[in-house]
Amino acid sequence: MSALDDAQEEAKADMTPMIDVVFLMIIFFICIEFKVLESKLDAFLPTDKGSQSTVVEPEEQLSIKIHVASPGVPDYTKYGGEGINENTGRPNRFKLVGHKVRWEVGPKPLGSIEAVKAELDRIAKDPNSKIPDKKTGGKKLMSVVIEAYPGTYYESVSKTNDAANAAGFKEVNFGGGLGSK
Amino acid sequence: MNVEKIVQEEIDMDMTPMIDCVFLLMIFFVLVIDLSQKNLEDLILPRAVYSEPDDEPPENRPIINVLQNGTVVYGGVVSYDPTVDGKNYAKIKQLLLDIRVKGLAEKTLKLVDKDIGGATAKVLDDPILIRADKWTEWHYVGEIMKQCSQPEIAFWKVQLALSDQDKETGEKNERLKK
Repeated sequence: MSALDDAQEEAKADMTPMIDVVFLMIIFFICIEFKVLESKLDAFLPTDKGSQSTVVEPEEQLSIKIHVASPGVPDYTKYGGEGINENTGRPNRFKLVGHKVRWEVGPKPLGSIEAVKAELDRIAKDPNSKIPDKKTGGKKLMSVVIEAYPGTYYESVSKTNDAANAAGFKEVNFGGGLGSK
Repeated sequence: MNVEKIVQEEIDMDMTPMIDCVFLLMIFFVLVIDLSQKNLEDLILPRAVYSEPDDEPPENRPIINVLQNGTVVYGGVVSYDPTVDGKNYAKIKQLLLDIRVKGLAEKTLKLVDKDIGGATAKVLDDPILIRADKWTEWHYVGEIMKQCSQPEIAFWKVQLALSDQDKETGEKNERLKK
């Protein structure tokens, strides 16, 4: 075998194993991506203490009512139209377009979540919002009751809850029994 | 070709099959781990900034999914369908009772005494997670919470699932942008 033949042999690279590995890596990363998507449905927990269907001591709680101002229209176009998804067996999801709510923080009507945040901030800083704490004997910020009226969606309730947490309210309860639309 | 070269060629080990096997094993384990996520329906959770990260969820925490139309799904099985059951929420109650009975029997849930308004009541000390879509009507979630608070069920630690990212709008919390 001449030196020229040796050089030619070295230049020949078998691509098959490399392609094998590349395909395996593609499959691996696709699988990893699916897992990330699932775990990206990160469950973050609000600091609530469960439900409370009756309002106890209403004078010591701040009521936030959520009313529907505009019900909105379900839009299925991005998710394959209205009907059942053949792969999952679940109804196709929709995006609610034009859904608007209005709030009542105490007696004050408000039209945006920013206004709700500002009002809750103001109330949290007000010394009159502090109530006696039976456990410590000191004072604590009054609790909040979110009362969602029929036709309200989880989105609005969670935003309201978030605004209350942002303002520093530690106890957030959910009023129940207001029923469906 | 001389003898020395032949010996050298034999010693060279092809690593490719081993790497193939390692990758296959990794894929296998990833998929097996993924099966544990079967309790999670594909929902878009609402985004919230001031919430507690759920980094280390309790191992046996029951997870109740509520789809956009109010359908309640537990462990991949539909327990309540509003198009069939309407305002008859007995199936939700039964589901929660079943979770309680099974959890107590398997010792994944435990009862504790708790002072409620001056009276001592036995309540479940373990949390239950409600995962609802952002466009799920609140009253379905409220109904589950109401049923959880019934004395015969007594899940008092109700948790609501939220997200750091709104997958519909793409909005992210600051901590995800870092």
